[in-house]
Amino acid sequence: MRPLIDVWRSASSRLILIYGALFAIWCVILLGVVQWEASRYLVGVIDQMLLQRIHYLEVSDPRRLQGTVEAASVIDPKGIMWVGLFDADGKPVAGNITRLPDELVQDGVVYPLKASLADPDANRPARARGVTVHLANGQRLVVAKESNTIDGVGTIIKRGLLWGLSLTLLPGLLGGILIARGPARRIREIQDATAPIREGDLTRRLPVSRRGDELDLLAGIVNTMLGEIERLLGEVKGVCDNIAHDLRTPLTRLRTRLYRTQQQIGQRPEAALLDACVDDIDTVLTRFRALMRVSELEDRQRSACFADIDLAQVIRDVYEFYVPLAEDRGQRFELTVGELPALRGDPQLLFEALANLVGNAIKFTPNGGAVRLTAGVDVEGNARIDIVDSGPGIPTDEREAVVRRFYRGDNTRAQPGSGLGLSIVNAIVKLHGYSLEIGGDAHGAQFSVICNPKAA
Amino acid sequence: MARVLVIEDDEVTAREIVTELASHGMTADWVADGREGLTRALNDGYDIITLDRLLPGMDGIDIVAALRERHIDTPVLMISALSDVDDRVRGLRAGGDDYLTKPFAPDEMAARAEVLLRRRQPNVESNRLRVGELELDLVRHVANRNGQPLTLLPTEFRLLEFLMRNAGQVLTRTMIFEQVWGFHFDPGTNVIDVHIGRLRRKIDGPGQSPLIRTVRGSGYLLAPAD
Repeated sequence: MRPLIDVWRSASSRLILIYGALFAIWCVILLGVVQWEASRYLVGVIDQMLLQRIHYLEVSDPRRLQGTVEAASVIDPKGIMWVGLFDADGKPVAGNITRLPDELVQDGVVYPLKASLADPDANRPARARGVTVHLANGQRLVVAKESNTIDGVGTIIKRGLLWGLSLTLLPGLLGGILIARGPARRIREIQDATAPIREGDLTRRLPVSRRGDELDLLAGIVNTMLGEIERLLGEVKGVCDNIAHDLRTPLTRLRTRLYRTQQQIGQRPEAALLDACVDDIDTVLTRFRALMRVSELEDRQRSACFADIDLAQVIRDVYEFYVPLAEDRGQRFELTVGELPALRGDPQLLFEALANLVGNAIKFTPNGGAVRLTAGVDVEGNARIDIVDSGPGIPTDEREAVVRRFYRGDNTRAQPGSGLGLSIVNAIVKLHGYSLEIGGDAHGAQFSVICNPKAA
Repeated sequence: MARVLVIEDDEVTAREIVTELASHGMTADWVADGREGLTRALNDGYDIITLDRLLPGMDGIDIVAALRERHIDTPVLMISALSDVDDRVRGLRAGGDDYLTKPFAPDEMAARAEVLLRRRQPNVESNRLRVGELELDLVRHVANRNGQPLTLLPTEFRLLEFLMRNAGQVLTRTMIFEQVWGFHFDPGTNVIDVHIGRLRRKIDGPGQSPLIRTVRGSGYLLAPAD
């Protein structure tokens, strides 16, 4: 099962999110500065107005001041500009400011005022700026202006920020996710393409599109590497095969000469020595043949000799072929063949594979042990052939290695054999598109061939 | 004396074949070219032909196919460097009678040639085989030695039949496996020996002279007791 790529976890999505966050922070800072500058400017304007007004009132005729203040408050019913005249005790004399604000400490300096100027008990939060001067007659003149307009500007800017952010960020993020899905889909294609490669099929390559982007560049590099690995493996195998192939001819001649000499010298004691030599050469030749057989099977195209087969018959033939060997070793050899699905395959090769597995089972099971050959249908409708023995078993960590060329387990080193039998089995099973499972425990090994009727 | 036509382009191999066949009492003529080989095979009435698969002039498969087309049924032993099962199948399908891969042990080659020769000259009545005290009824599928019936399993019967048809002839384990079981791979373990051992115990009763002999380094031989 391939690991799913989460769109949220892909590199491009992450980059887009980080970019979005940075963009939002930058917008906030930018608009903060704008707002701060704007309110500073507005405060300056208001202060200027207040100072001008108070100066105008201050220098006007003191006797007509009260009237002027009244007039100013009357012509300004909306309270854009507040004005108030207070006596020395702070009691209002004229104007629309009902209370002398405490904040005004120093003459001619504009202070921010907290409370509302018109109605001190009003809940409406109102901010204002005001300025005061002490007049020569001991009265105090106050001019103030509500500064809510500054907050209004701030609100407009904040609203602008919100709209701006949502209008840029949301489509940006959505677009980003859509863009990120493209590479994610291609990565998934690459994942699918690597599955057979991971299982050893080095002839496969990663898909490369015509876009020529980074992913294609990467896929191209991986493909070149795969090509090189395939070439090198082929070379190694080629060298092995060539050695086996080229040495067979001289070894066969050598065997012939030794055999003839042995025939000629007849019953003399040296004959036993020649016998041993011939046996050794036979061992080497058998091994070479097996090695070349593995190569040949691996290079073979599927379905070259495939036909509808009677798997049950093949299994019974294997059983019959090995019964005498098991009986000779005092082993209990049991056969159970159930109903099997129709299959296509090469009966010769399947016999060879099963013969290898059964031969191994008998070889590694001690005299008096038991070997079971069972065939039936599994839950998925595949034919399943199990070969179970009561030998030493195959340790879990060796199970993948045993199908490799020349691998011999620690438990089995003492037994004769080439270490190629399971490689042959594996090659045949692969050729059919079947699978080989190795199981069992310390009380015996279990080899299972699972034949998918749709595979071949 | 049996006459053999050796069609083989490699001189060393050809000499090996000719020498080995001569030592088994056959006269062998060597031809290196495929076309000439076909002409000789068609006209000169040989008893058996050994045929290389890859030849100058003409492919071995084409030669055997051409012979069969003209109803020349001279047994053909194909000897080839191509060891692939498919090549074997192709060779046999084209009309070859046996297929041996290079490099081969000369004695095995000669043994195969003799088996082919033997197949051509049946020395028994069609439904009955007899070697010394042994008798095999091919129709009723029964065997007896010296009149005593033998209980044989079907495989044992086929094995005995093959040994008796080629009585006096050394048969290698590979040949036995190929001919009796019909498979062309290395069975590896000593299964063939075990099968022969069981057959031997059944046909050689206590006090009877052994009929199946083991030939060291080669295989087995069934021959009437001297």
